[in-house]
Amino acid sequence: MKMTPAMRSAQESMQPGVITEEGFLGDEEMPIVDMIVRDEGEMISLGLSFEKTAEQLSYLLKEGQKGLGEPVTIDDKWLIRVVDPRGQLPCPFKDGLFHKMTAEIIRKSTDETLIVTDMSIHLFLEHHFIEGKGSQFRLEPQLLKRILFD
Amino acid sequence: MMVPDINPIVLLFASIFTSNILLANFLGMCSFISISKDMTSANGLGLAVTVVLTITSMLNWVLLKFVIIPLDITYLRYILFIIVIAATVQILEMIIDRVSPALYMSLGIFLPLITVNCAILGVALFMQIRNYNFVQTVFFSFGSGIGWWLAIMALAAINKKIQKAPVSAALSGPGITLITIGFMAMAFIGFSGMLNVQ
Amino acid sequence: MAFLIAPAAIALVAALLAAAISIVDKIVNNYGEVDISINDGKKVIKMDGGDTLLSSLASQEIFIPSACGGRGTCGACKCKVTSDVGPHLPTETPYMSKEELSDNIRLSCQVKIKADIELEIPDELFNIKKYKSKISSIRDVTHDIKEVTFDLQGEEINFQAGKYVQLVVPPHNKVKGYTQRAYSMASRPEDKNLVQLLIRLVPGGIATTWVHTSLNEGDEVELVGPFGDFFRSETDATMICIAGGSGMAPFKSILYDMLDKGETDREVWYFFGARTSKDMFYLEDMRELEKKWPNFHFVAALSEPEEGSSWDGETGLITDVLDTFLKTKIDPEKTREGYLCGSPGMIDACNNVLSKNKIAPDKIYYDKF
Repeated sequence: MKMTPAMRSAQESMQPGVITEEGFLGDEEMPIVDMIVRDEGEMISLGLSFEKTAEQLSYLLKEGQKGLGEPVTIDDKWLIRVVDPRGQLPCPFKDGLFHKMTAEIIRKSTDETLIVTDMSIHLFLEHHFIEGKGSQFRLEPQLLKRILFD
Repeated sequence: MMVPDINPIVLLFASIFTSNILLANFLGMCSFISISKDMTSANGLGLAVTVVLTITSMLNWVLLKFVIIPLDITYLRYILFIIVIAATVQILEMIIDRVSPALYMSLGIFLPLITVNCAILGVALFMQIRNYNFVQTVFFSFGSGIGWWLAIMALAAINKKIQKAPVSAALSGPGITLITIGFMAMAFIGFSGMLNVQ
Repeated sequence: MAFLIAPAAIALVAALLAAAISIVDKIVNNYGEVDISINDGKKVIKMDGGDTLLSSLASQEIFIPSACGGRGTCGACKCKVTSDVGPHLPTETPYMSKEELSDNIRLSCQVKIKADIELEIPDELFNIKKYKSKISSIRDVTHDIKEVTFDLQGEEINFQAGKYVQLVVPPHNKVKGYTQRAYSMASRPEDKNLVQLLIRLVPGGIATTWVHTSLNEGDEVELVGPFGDFFRSETDATMICIAGGSGMAPFKSILYDMLDKGETDREVWYFFGARTSKDMFYLEDMRELEKKWPNFHFVAALSEPEEGSSWDGETGLITDVLDTFLKTKIDPEKTREGYLCGSPGMIDACNNVLSKNKIAPDKIYYDKF
């Protein structure tokens, strides 16, 4: 699909070593538009909405922050640790600056783990970009469904 | 071929208004559309285009009269014009970076892109086809630059108004910009009765 | 030979233009030797211009703190430039407040040195050095926190307890460039030839993952420091210290320093929170410290102790425990000072509790990221 200049510059900023050392694209090299379309399709086929999912993630992040860096159990289902290392990162789409707030969400029943950041929720909600396959911060729809909603 | 009998001053105003390089010939559209979002960068780019246009046309005129025509290699004019433009932009880029880093940052990728701005090659080719003499070339290229500058400033100003207007999502961005440029071009046609030069 | 005319003409024109470019480059990009005058001429450096302020100073062994290593993403390398170096760049403005903009505070990684320049930096930055260290021990203190000790190989570090150093992470695996990350020192200032850091695994974090998976005893690592303005005040006010996890580091350093220097008349309350007993560490050391120093009180709290565990300390969130202690155990008549180390969220939460208990905001010191 055709990439707008804004998309192209975003993709460049997502390369390793530009904003973060490992980049946002994981092992994938295809245009981010195609990744977004593919992942939107997967979200729909799993019956997930971006808004609802982001809301749930933000809720967990907010509750997790109360642990002040220590893990917290939320609703008896999740174990969440939110850390906020020094420094800030700009969004590759140039619409915001984010603390490196990172949460590790563990579903207690299955021990599956998801890593969410302030930035990844923003990318997810505002740009429907969930990062490339192979990126540590990819919000894999299957995993989101299993961890957040099952 | 004869040098056309046009007063350079007339040529200057003609190239600004009646045959505006952008709105009458539709040359140099890419950067025109993408950099016209705010007045400051539009102003900077307009200035850069004007300077590059004027300098390169003069250099290209010299090249044309003293190298290309005597050696009978007119078919190579595109390549020669383009490398002159590329070199000039490169030099200008270094100078702007030194003199005004803020302008350099705000022009960003569009400064090197002036190299492939069709308005600049277009003016060089018009100058050759219409067989202008040196003075005419200077006034024509300077006028074309000013015309481009004027058009991009006008568009940036209009875009500022459009930002507050309820544009439908499908048309926002380049869509509404292209429509706006269409209206501007029609408005500029109004000038065309006043002077007519080729 | 006529066919040679065209290529020769193009080659000639191209050569002339290339010559013109390189001549302009020589003139325009040659900034010559410039003077960098620091703190009203206290130190003047002569060097070739053209590079950024951050890296020019670093090449002269003056290290302005920077968490991202000069990429313009952390906003840490601020310094005041008193001479004119042009307006703020679009890459700087997002990190600047209005006051900083009008004070001509700049990001030193974005300012290019093109002429003589005058700037102001804190004096202690002169003390900052780059150390080539060797890892003498790595110890797991919890399942996700490592205590790493660096041997400075004969060099000495002079620092006030509470300061931090930057660990230089070299390229590895997918990481192609050098990065730097800041960690508070847990070692005592007395031990001048070693540095100890507590490094907790950050999910997905480059530096912490590297430390946890690739570092081994005997490896050579670069450290830059000391940095920071987090240290104890020189009063006899009661100190209320709050931390969790790797926030232990600066307090460990401060507490042992106080013991070393005999400041044991001062009353110190140290609140340390963890989730379960497997996240709790240094418990024995702190109890040991309490015995040597009667005015020191270590309050450890678990927020979610395992069922049936033998935990006999406090339970609950550290902020709640703090609130109870401030209301019931700590003498409100004496001046109290708050010392916090942690994320903005943790600092805000503790700030709230402290100010609700009438501790003045200017008496609360913190190392905010």
